[in-house]
Amino acid sequence: MRLAFWLYEGTALHGISRVTNSMKGVHTVYHAPQGDDYITATYTMLERTPQFPGLSISVVRGRDLAQGVSRLPTTLQQVDHHYHPELIVIAPSCSTALLQEDLHQLAAHSGVPNERLMVYALNPFRVSENEAADGLFTELVKRYAVTQEKTAAPSVNILGFTSLGFHLRANLTSITRMLQTLGITVNVVAPWGSSIEDLGRLPAAWLNIAPYQEIGVNAAAYLEETFSMPSLTEAPLGVEPTMAWLRSLLEKLNAIGSDRGTPPLVMPNLKAFSLDGLSAPSGVPWFARTADMESFSNKKAFVFGDATHTVGIVKFLRDELGMQIIGAGTYLEQHADWVRKELEGYLPGALMVTDRFQDVAKVIEDEMPDLVCGTQMERHSCRKLDVPCMVVCPPTHIENHLLGYYPFFGFAGADVIADRVYLSCKLGLEKHLIDFFGDAGLEYEESASSEEGHVIPSDSNGEASESVTSEVTVLPDEGEMKWSDDAETMLKKVPFFVRKKVRKNTDTFARSIGEPVVTVDVFRKAKESLGG
Amino acid sequence: MMQVPGDIQIIKEDNVTHSFCGLACVGWMYQKIKDSFFLILGTHTCAHFLQNALGMMIFAKPRFGIALMEEGDLSKNEPTLQEIISEIKSDHNPSVIFLLSSCTPEVMKVDFKGLAHHLSTPQVPVLFVPASGLVYNFTQAEDSVLAALVPFCPQAPAGEKKVVFLGSVNDSTADDLRAEAEELGIPVGGFLPESRFDKMPAIGPDTVLAPVQPYLSRVAVKLSRERGCSVLHSLFPFGPDGTRVFWEDLAREFGITVDLRDREKAAWEKIRKQTDLLKGKKVFFTADTMMELPLARFLHNAGADVVECSSAYIIKKFHARELEALDGVRVVEQPNFHRQLEDVRRIKPDLIVTSLMTANPFVGNGFVVKWSMEFMLMPIHSWSGVISLANLFVSPLQRRSKLPAFDEKVWLEGIMPSAE
Repeated sequence: MRLAFWLYEGTALHGISRVTNSMKGVHTVYHAPQGDDYITATYTMLERTPQFPGLSISVVRGRDLAQGVSRLPTTLQQVDHHYHPELIVIAPSCSTALLQEDLHQLAAHSGVPNERLMVYALNPFRVSENEAADGLFTELVKRYAVTQEKTAAPSVNILGFTSLGFHLRANLTSITRMLQTLGITVNVVAPWGSSIEDLGRLPAAWLNIAPYQEIGVNAAAYLEETFSMPSLTEAPLGVEPTMAWLRSLLEKLNAIGSDRGTPPLVMPNLKAFSLDGLSAPSGVPWFARTADMESFSNKKAFVFGDATHTVGIVKFLRDELGMQIIGAGTYLEQHADWVRKELEGYLPGALMVTDRFQDVAKVIEDEMPDLVCGTQMERHSCRKLDVPCMVVCPPTHIENHLLGYYPFFGFAGADVIADRVYLSCKLGLEKHLIDFFGDAGLEYEESASSEEGHVIPSDSNGEASESVTSEVTVLPDEGEMKWSDDAETMLKKVPFFVRKKVRKNTDTFARSIGEPVVTVDVFRKAKESLGG
Repeated sequence: MMQVPGDIQIIKEDNVTHSFCGLACVGWMYQKIKDSFFLILGTHTCAHFLQNALGMMIFAKPRFGIALMEEGDLSKNEPTLQEIISEIKSDHNPSVIFLLSSCTPEVMKVDFKGLAHHLSTPQVPVLFVPASGLVYNFTQAEDSVLAALVPFCPQAPAGEKKVVFLGSVNDSTADDLRAEAEELGIPVGGFLPESRFDKMPAIGPDTVLAPVQPYLSRVAVKLSRERGCSVLHSLFPFGPDGTRVFWEDLAREFGITVDLRDREKAAWEKIRKQTDLLKGKKVFFTADTMMELPLARFLHNAGADVVECSSAYIIKKFHARELEALDGVRVVEQPNFHRQLEDVRRIKPDLIVTSLMTANPFVGNGFVVKWSMEFMLMPIHSWSGVISLANLFVSPLQRRSKLPAFDEKVWLEGIMPSAE
């Protein structure tokens, strides 16, 4: 038992519904008390689904339990009657899992043919969102994929793209555009937009692309084992990884092609991957070499997230933008070994593995990095600390579900990430000027941004979440240092955006030398000793 | 079907619906009672619900949290919450801790009453609040919170005849209600709840309890039984019609006769533009917050054609006046969503009032919707709330009419591949 305020991963039910909500003709029935279908709102609100997600609840009431009544058979009949799904996935919630009912038998009472039912009863106390999604997707692939002829031309499946995935649509577009450029056909995308029949057709492709460690790699492994389909499980995140990904893709497909006697695919001139077909496919390599970006060699970044993005972003920041990585972590314990292996040599210390956001916030507060790449939660923590932060992976907020084309994968994705880093961080020459001469007339930004934190929600939008809790943002700051008026005046001369950091470092310095008050003298000593 | 006074027939279905569980009440109750902490004994599901569905991202340390039951806790006889309670006390220093039940510990038959009693101290009481989705709908757990507060309402002496308004409203609405009552010569004893735990109102045999939210029947019954107070059975104070009847009936309880018909007329006049637009419009309530009956009654009296008013639970006595006023309207308790979907497609309402879970898909099906939850978060009570109330119904209709024509074959393409 522990006191929790907020969690990174969703529940097993959430994972299951992410897969079924992605698919055509598949319906999930939650065997659960009222309210457990709140998950539906995540699709209808975040993805703004214009149709009803295939999610129904078979309500379990306290009275039903007392009377030994189960509504599951009736609900299954209703769902079958109204929506005619090809498959109904039946899932218990955390509370009904404890009832130890025989869901197979209950489901059979509905009269819905057994081959259209699937009881997916995980232990919700042990399995969370990603594992459940990956597990169900793998089960479905095992159940429906059948041996068949390969397509005549080189083709691939794209696996693991799942409802509510991070920048899902744009990433898919970025990958399919590159495949088009290479002349490779997409056989099936799954689970996003796929039908049961599509799952059956999976083995027709030559190769599986499964870029997400969290969802899809196990299905790819099964297909490799059973149908001898090679897989490409790297994520094309960053320019160099994208190049490596393309080369590896061609190599694997050409190996199959040579056995089949088809002409090899060739890597086109790279400008073929650009949006206009006439330019470098990404601006990042030149951008990173410009004098302006030289200042990035001093910038310290901290990355925290799922497995795929933590690894990809750490490598991108260090290898392609030349930033310093001061630490990284993941909330996915089951993938921590993979992340550690991938990031060997990248991190100054151990990988942080935790599902408590408070621990992550503490690290950020102690380190005060120049950039944090994290989840929506880190964005909240950083806002409080005035530390630049960009969201690079789930869990997300409505504001991470935008309309524009912002992939993270491929050449276009490298540009998007670099732009966001650039916009999030304090800039180079501009920063020198401000550092040297003071506020550079930008002081007004401070008062503007500090007011922002206290806005009381005027609209009743259910997503006005930040402002809903803004009144409780102020953490009781135990043992705050006293500052003399002169020292405060001196602190005012420090650029506003590093002021918090300077105050904190000076506080720490003063404590370390046993000074109870920060005076002008202590402040100067701190500057000398800390080089600031 | 059951019969209620006025011969209103209520169709009762099987409750296969989309709505939240009682834990949702934490979203507004913790903000209302400012020196409280809401502790939910629950699972990952409860935590995920609060952080997602209610859109409550946590900045720092909110005054609510989950005592998270993990696998190891399932085999323990009784949950040990002492450490968590200490943590809460040292971090938040609350005057009261509400301990909310959820489905998993209820299935495990945790003795919540004993647990709360055991954790209580004279300084910081821990109050059990039944809230789980096995029994309670969306708004109903506010009823449980208020019931838990009853022992902390001082006993008002006999002969102290005052009104106590029942239901959490924001401070400015509370000020309006108080001022209106005083203007009519009605002495005000306070609100249950007030915004501080130590300020709960005195309630005694001569208190008149005036419910201002339609989902608080249990606490009303409890108070009338335990304190002998009377409960106002009137319309709820929404819209010119409800507001007039509410104040006239309340005044009558105090021996004051007032005729507010002119005021009602003036209020209707103020929203004439809105009611002109609502006249004859077909409105469908799918059931969500249990505010459906009074809202539908307002629309009905405003000239709209309420084609279905569904609500999760209808309490015959508590809602009697609203049901009478809904004469001729199709009223459904515990509706079946699948059936509603078919009816909606057939009837083609002009406006659907529905939950967060179903709003956008209805829009995708060509309908105009209003989030039912918005009515809980807007000041729509009494005279001062009339315009807000009318606008909530009118704005989606007006906005839709101003947007350019929409060819769904074009603009919905690829948005939800699973539905194509």
